Amino acid sequence: MNKTVNQKAWFFVIPVFVLVAFNAIIPLMTVVNYAFQETFGNNQFMWEGTRWFKQILVSERFHAALGRQVLFTLIILVIQIPLGIFIALNMPKEGIGVPICLVLMSMPLLIPWNVVGAMWNIFALPDIGFLGHSLNAMGFDYNFTQQSGDAWFTTILMDVWHWTSLVVLLSYAGLRSIQPAYYQAAEIDGATRWAVFRHIELPKMKKVLTIAILLRFMDSFMIYTEPFVLTGGGPGNATAFLSIDLVKMALGQFDLGPAAAMSLIYFFIVLTVCWVFYNLMMRNESKS
Amino acid sequence: MIFTNSYAANSWDSVAKSQEKGFFDFEFITWMAWTWQTAAFFLFIVLCFIVMIIWEKKKPGGSPRKGILGLDTTRGDRLFISLLSSAYIHLGWLGLIGPMLWIATIISFIFAIFVFRFV
Repeated sequence: MNKTVNQKAWFFVIPVFVLVAFNAIIPLMTVVNYAFQETFGNNQFMWEGTRWFKQILVSERFHAALGRQVLFTLIILVIQIPLGIFIALNMPKEGIGVPICLVLMSMPLLIPWNVVGAMWNIFALPDIGFLGHSLNAMGFDYNFTQQSGDAWFTTILMDVWHWTSLVVLLSYAGLRSIQPAYYQAAEIDGATRWAVFRHIELPKMKKVLTIAILLRFMDSFMIYTEPFVLTGGGPGNATAFLSIDLVKMALGQFDLGPAAAMSLIYFFIVLTVCWVFYNLMMRNESKS
Repeated sequence: MIFTNSYAANSWDSVAKSQEKGFFDFEFITWMAWTWQTAAFFLFIVLCFIVMIIWEKKKPGGSPRKGILGLDTTRGDRLFISLLSSAYIHLGWLGLIGPMLWIATIISFIFAIFVFRFV
């Protein structure tokens, strides 16, 4: 059968193109322009060449922020993915427990980022906050505004509280889509609980888990609001992740050139990871 | 705002005078801070897209294959890999070596040819 060629459908793409142009392409082009120039405002720019890129690439501040960011994202993934799978495996599969669990699980996801930050800030205050006060009453020397270890602990705990549910919901959806026949076959074969998990549930959850890891990677790699409200990047620079450091540089110091160069490097890292995940997902698609 | 005003203050003689405008003086995009170098860069990217469209018209299908990375790639994927790796090559050159950046550009082009042939 011959398909009729009708390129008029392209007109339907125009609204999306305009939208993307205004919220992505034009700002990105501007960032590229800024990355090669110096400015003091008033729309006056001086050409600097690749100076800012050189400066950022060898800057210890950038290396430290990038290191903190990677460490944070790794810790988040290592905690949230197994924990999410574990909770999903133990959630009820039928009855009144299902909606209760689902609603409870989705609640943290509905709370805005800055509210989460403010909540945890008050919750963790060492003198009046429930968490901070209890920890100190138990004899721990806990003060997230002054000790970097405590700040990290609180930030990670907050993120785990906020986002593990996403992994749970995705894994739960993956688990529910497994046909009962697989479990029956496993029972007849006398498979152990671990074998059922390893050879039935995990492979069947592979697709949703890839998406879960991608989403958690992206969200934690660009995390800004929650640590900004909770610790403001402090104490010192202990929790100044990439985006917090970037905003400090761009708006705090008005170093638009270096900040633009830094955000381009940031962008390339994110783009690479997305590309890797995209290929992993496509490979899963083509196999199944 | 503070920066804008303090910078404007050092040229009092221009205050209250209408600015002389050249033909290409588009005020509404001065904030984008275009330079001919960055404009040339983006024109090159657009040119790449146009070449890809023409190539696709001549030989439709995108010539998919499984390359040496074990990935199913089409021409578009190979262009993306080339562009992204050229960014890394340039950044690596700037960070590790520094001067004579045009050598990194040549390496990028050679690498792009390699990607289009084998990946």
